[in-house]
Amino acid sequence: MSNALLEVSHATKVFSRGGLLSSRRIVAVNDVSFRIEAARPEIFTIIGESGSGKTTLSRMILNIEQPSAGSLVLDGTDLSTVRSNRDRLAFMHKVQPIFQNPFEAFNPLKQLDRYLFMTRQRFSAAVGQAALEAAVDEALRKVGLSLKEVRHRYPHEMSGGQLQRVAIARALLSSPKLIVADEPVSMVDASLRMSIVNLFRALRDDLGISIIYVTHDLATAYYISDRIMIMQNGRVVESGDARTVLNAPQHPYSQQLRAAVLLPEVTGGTAPANSPST
Amino acid sequence: MTASPALPARPDAAAPILAVRDLKAHFRTNHFGVKRYVKAVDGISFDVRRGEIYGLAGESSSGKTTLIKTIAGAIKPPLEVVGGTVDFAFLPGYGGLHRAPPAEVARIRWRHLSYIMQGSMNVLNPVRRLRATFADFARSHIDASDRQFEQAVVDHLARVKLDASVLTAYPHELSGGMRQRATIALATICRPDFIIADEPTTALDVVVQKDVLGMIRGIQREIGSSVLFVTHDMGVHAHLTDRLGIMYAGRLVEEAATAEIFRRPLHPYTRHLISSLPRIGDDIQRKGLEGSPPSLADPPPGCRFHPRCPLAMAACSERVPDMVETEPDHRVACFAVNGDQAP
Ligand SMILES: Nc1ncnc2c1ncn2[C@@H]1O[C@H](COP(=O)(O)OP(=O)(O)OP(=O)(O)O)[C@@H](O)[C@H]1O
Ligand SMILES: Nc1ncnc2c1ncn2[C@@H]1O[C@H](COP(=O)(O)OP(=O)(O)OP(=O)(O)O)[C@@H](O)[C@H]1O
Ligand code: SF4
Ligand SMILES: [Mg+2]
Ligand SMILES: [Mg+2]
Repeated sequence: MSNALLEVSHATKVFSRGGLLSSRRIVAVNDVSFRIEAARPEIFTIIGESGSGKTTLSRMILNIEQPSAGSLVLDGTDLSTVRSNRDRLAFMHKVQPIFQNPFEAFNPLKQLDRYLFMTRQRFSAAVGQAALEAAVDEALRKVGLSLKEVRHRYPHEMSGGQLQRVAIARALLSSPKLIVADEPVSMVDASLRMSIVNLFRALRDDLGISIIYVTHDLATAYYISDRIMIMQNGRVVESGDARTVLNAPQHPYSQQLRAAVLLPEVTGGTAPANSPST
Repeated sequence: MTASPALPARPDAAAPILAVRDLKAHFRTNHFGVKRYVKAVDGISFDVRRGEIYGLAGESSSGKTTLIKTIAGAIKPPLEVVGGTVDFAFLPGYGGLHRAPPAEVARIRWRHLSYIMQGSMNVLNPVRRLRATFADFARSHIDASDRQFEQAVVDHLARVKLDASVLTAYPHELSGGMRQRATIALATICRPDFIIADEPTTALDVVVQKDVLGMIRGIQREIGSSVLFVTHDMGVHAHLTDRLGIMYAGRLVEEAATAEIFRRPLHPYTRHLISSLPRIGDDIQRKGLEGSPPSLADPPPGCRFHPRCPLAMAACSERVPDMVETEPDHRVACFAVNGDQAP
């Protein structure tokens, strides 16, 4: 068998929620397995019900959360063995996160350019200021920004869409092999959404980066994914080639999901289909 | 609630419930000598009619959230209202929440006006269980026994497909979409006359999203509320909103019935927006807009879209096109559409 970049085997995560007396056991992720080949970078999409365990699974892949059962192996390293700071740094070199809410991902008191410089310095040996600035500028340009636009600015001075692009640039600074993006485009406009997913495609094709793309947007999922996995209630209900699955979903939940997509068009006669009910 | 005797208790049904006129709200920041003056909302006028769902869409960072915050009175430095007025029918005479006395603002919050902020899944109090949060905000506005109140909360949560067990959870124990639904439930349980919602369904799967939109629609029908709804999701606009305003770089550039915007977008930015939407099953390559988004600290002169506009002509970089009612109920700010109205 060829090498796996990521091998998730029977990953399970159990939480308990609520007060001492009313505590409930919640199986957030229930026996999930899949693998991503090292030799074949791909965009692997996870969609599913709200509360079905997508974020919990992503957090396990990022080693922020440990599985209750099962294992996750990245590039030959079992994540449960990543403990020391050195191991962590090596791990973060390979896997980078992008979160849904970029405002949570940045320290509100730190200027963005300084934060990017520090990130870069953590991952590469000491270089001069000029090289540092060039590297940061290059990463920002890959996402349609530039160092000039970001210099001296604080996170709250950017809109959601701008900040999300800074987050992607930050992820690129470590030259990762895998990016785990949890709902990365839900805060940006349709046009920018296309620029960002096109950027993911370019990262896959030009830089050989695999991307785990968690989303509720079936249209962009169809547009860029190689494979797709559909989750409900902690379990995988269907998975396979993205287009095959989305064109003809087999599981009842996948079918329900497919049917609930709101098309960006107004149907009906010449009168507005949804004029006020008055 | 009491209306002052000079004003009719039931205002004219044809008058808009919200009238925004030439509103300007800017950010003035100064960090270690780096001054920035961001004209995020720069001269916006529109009405929301009684009982309608008015949608707002537009480019990321075009000022939608700033506009909404200004209307909802959530104005904190460095944001400043530089000019214009915001008039709600239930808060007449002040020209905006930011100018009304705090007691008046407290009177209308929750009962008349509720505001679901962007990223609001993060506004739930992190150290309180949801049951306590509901009691904090809504208990005093609902006239019922404790047991009836609890039942009303449980019933209302069911409308957004949340189980009563979430009441015992802390926010961090819920998924993003569950928190988002809890906030929507909180903002709507008092059945306000006017609901302002900024990207309220971004964290929901499409099945649950449909239920939540149905709930908002339901409340709006039951009590004739009006809704101002901001989202990037054009599918949501197509199915939910009655009229749609499109923003670009701090200004409104087009407004019409939602169906009209989808069928016959007139402004070049709107046309791009509508044509950039991907669909399941089609393999057309879609591109984002060329060129970089305008800096609102130093916006392009004239029409702010001109550096990226395929139809730009000389006048476009010299003068600002006015919003003109090209056809009844369809307003557009573009020289190519309206002709150059040079003096
Ligand atoms: N720290 C925690 N403690 C207790 N329960 C948790 C915790 N984190 C998540 N859960 C529960 O695990 C389940 C899965 O949550 P998760 O955030 O993984 O869902 P999701 O698929 O990402 O949902 P969404 O689409 O809404 O973001 C939910 O029922 C949630 O309440
Ligand atoms: N506190 C602030 N200080 C300075 N500038 C700010 C501040 N908040 C927002 N801005 C700027 O104001 C402009 C408008 O931002 P706003 O959040 O209103 O946009 P938006 O249309 O809601 O965008 P999105 O769709 O991405 O949420 C942006 O250029 C942003 O960088
Ligand atoms: S006014 Fe000119 S630049 Fe602006 S949208 Fe119309 S044609 Fe384009
Ligand atoms: Mg999630
Ligand atoms: Mg916004």
